[in-house]
Amino acid sequence: MMTSERLRQLITFVTFAALVGYWSTTGYFGYELIAEIAVFAILAMSLDLVAGYTGLVSLGHGALFGFGAYMFGLFTVKLGIAPATGMAAAIVATTICALLVAMVVVRVHGIFFIMITLAIGEMGYEFFFKYRYLGGDDGLVGLPRLDLSGIGVNLSDPSVFALAMIVVTLCVFLVLAYLLRTPYGRVLTGIHENPQRMRALGFPIRAYRISAFALSGAIAGLAGTLTAQHTQFITPQLLHWTTSGEVLVMIILGGLGSLVGPIIGAAIVTLLRHELSSYTDYWGFWLGVFLIIVVVSRKDGIVGWLDYLRQLVAERRRPETAEEA
Amino acid sequence: MLSVEALEKSFGALQVTNQVSLQVPTGIRHAIIGPNGAGKTTLFNLLTGELRPTAGRIVLDDLDITHLTPDRRARLGLSRSFQRNNLFTGLTVRQNLAMAAIVHERRGRCFWRPLAGLSTIAERTEEIADIVGIADVLERPVRELSYGIQRQIEVGLALATAPKVLLLDEPTSGMSPEESGRIMHLITELPRELAVVIIEHDMHLVFEVADRITVLNYGKVLLDGTPEEVRSSDVVQETYLGGGLD
Repeated sequence: MMTSERLRQLITFVTFAALVGYWSTTGYFGYELIAEIAVFAILAMSLDLVAGYTGLVSLGHGALFGFGAYMFGLFTVKLGIAPATGMAAAIVATTICALLVAMVVVRVHGIFFIMITLAIGEMGYEFFFKYRYLGGDDGLVGLPRLDLSGIGVNLSDPSVFALAMIVVTLCVFLVLAYLLRTPYGRVLTGIHENPQRMRALGFPIRAYRISAFALSGAIAGLAGTLTAQHTQFITPQLLHWTTSGEVLVMIILGGLGSLVGPIIGAAIVTLLRHELSSYTDYWGFWLGVFLIIVVVSRKDGIVGWLDYLRQLVAERRRPETAEEA
Repeated sequence: MLSVEALEKSFGALQVTNQVSLQVPTGIRHAIIGPNGAGKTTLFNLLTGELRPTAGRIVLDDLDITHLTPDRRARLGLSRSFQRNNLFTGLTVRQNLAMAAIVHERRGRCFWRPLAGLSTIAERTEEIADIVGIADVLERPVRELSYGIQRQIEVGLALATAPKVLLLDEPTSGMSPEESGRIMHLITELPRELAVVIIEHDMHLVFEVADRITVLNYGKVLLDGTPEEVRSSDVVQETYLGGGLD
């Protein structure tokens, strides 16, 4: 019988194979789409780490994402630092920002957590909307891409850039999947399942939540620097709560707490937005219908559905083992 | 050893813990009994730090822990089980016990090595599973198991962190006589370097395992003495045991 873990490995393989397959057959528009999917997939995985695994549903991840993009803009466009250094510095800056935010927000729980992350995100949005030095509501143009010509990679070629983005997404996936298999990762899962018990066992749960949020911020910051390099033009809209909401929709659709689900969710939402919108103006409506079906079925998104199917098949194959307890 | 000095807790005008003092030396099995609402679980919550006392002191091995957080106290060796099963129901038995083994092995911050590769954690997990008698269900999800076995996991989790003082809140509640017999046996078999404080309604079990008994009533200590003293006390017979013990 196929285990739940095996199924996830298979889903992950199929997902990345589909992305690479699409990349090998598509043209310019497809490359743009793949880069966008990859950016949101990374952001969605970063949110899944806190929302799906640690139990902290943040509505402020768009702001961390946008903050990363703006820091990259600040370092490269305004301060003239090389893109590679600028990228690293932007990720560090976003991590520090997330750490400071986390120290405040982990004090509250549930709906209050959602509200306070939303409020802090909106503060960030307002700041960059007004701050003329970084372009204010006009946004910031002329962001550079990494120069990898030293190793023979030309990132200004859309095809190469798209493939590089798939590779980065895979790397982020592998790092997080590894992390979640370590004791630290297991502790995060435990905090999600039963924080009271974890505290009674002796885990300082606030410190774990803060560290997970900061780590998630680092990955959101990475996604920000990538979107900045992709579009080479950023606006405060990146920080807006609607971005955070959309990423939350992606992980719920794909499967909260499954890591590969958020990638699938990012692909579906991005494709729907571009493809469905050419057939109908009501694409958001159909996305809503889809989301309601997923949530009402209580199967943890698409990955949860597939796992449910796996169980059905497994039960049908060996009906005689129904009672073994 | 655990020492509690004149502990008080009130919720507004309601005083639920009133001048409670306890001495629990190493190795002692100390039972806390009393009618429903006597403040037994409140006392536990004060000891573990889930509630803050209004007055009084809690001292563990010469260290004043009155104002420490629950997780700090747990790391110092004060462990508890819960009256209602408080497990990781979505995980397997192995994953549940591994959570406590991670604390025991101090590996919670380890983010560079896979859990599956850490043999000390696996060993600790299996050791505890053997002690509480759940080794044969290690790979089963907790939510599929019977209430009695979940109760054993509850005790196993509290035990796996290798505490100095183990607080058991009605470990046999809701269990069949056969299952409580198993828990009772388990408690008597626990190593003697461990002090055990147990809240229990099953008087048979209390008189079987306890070296010392504190009787609580309306948040106050009614009597503190050996099982014989408690058994022969008129005031205890009247207020709690209802004379129906002999």
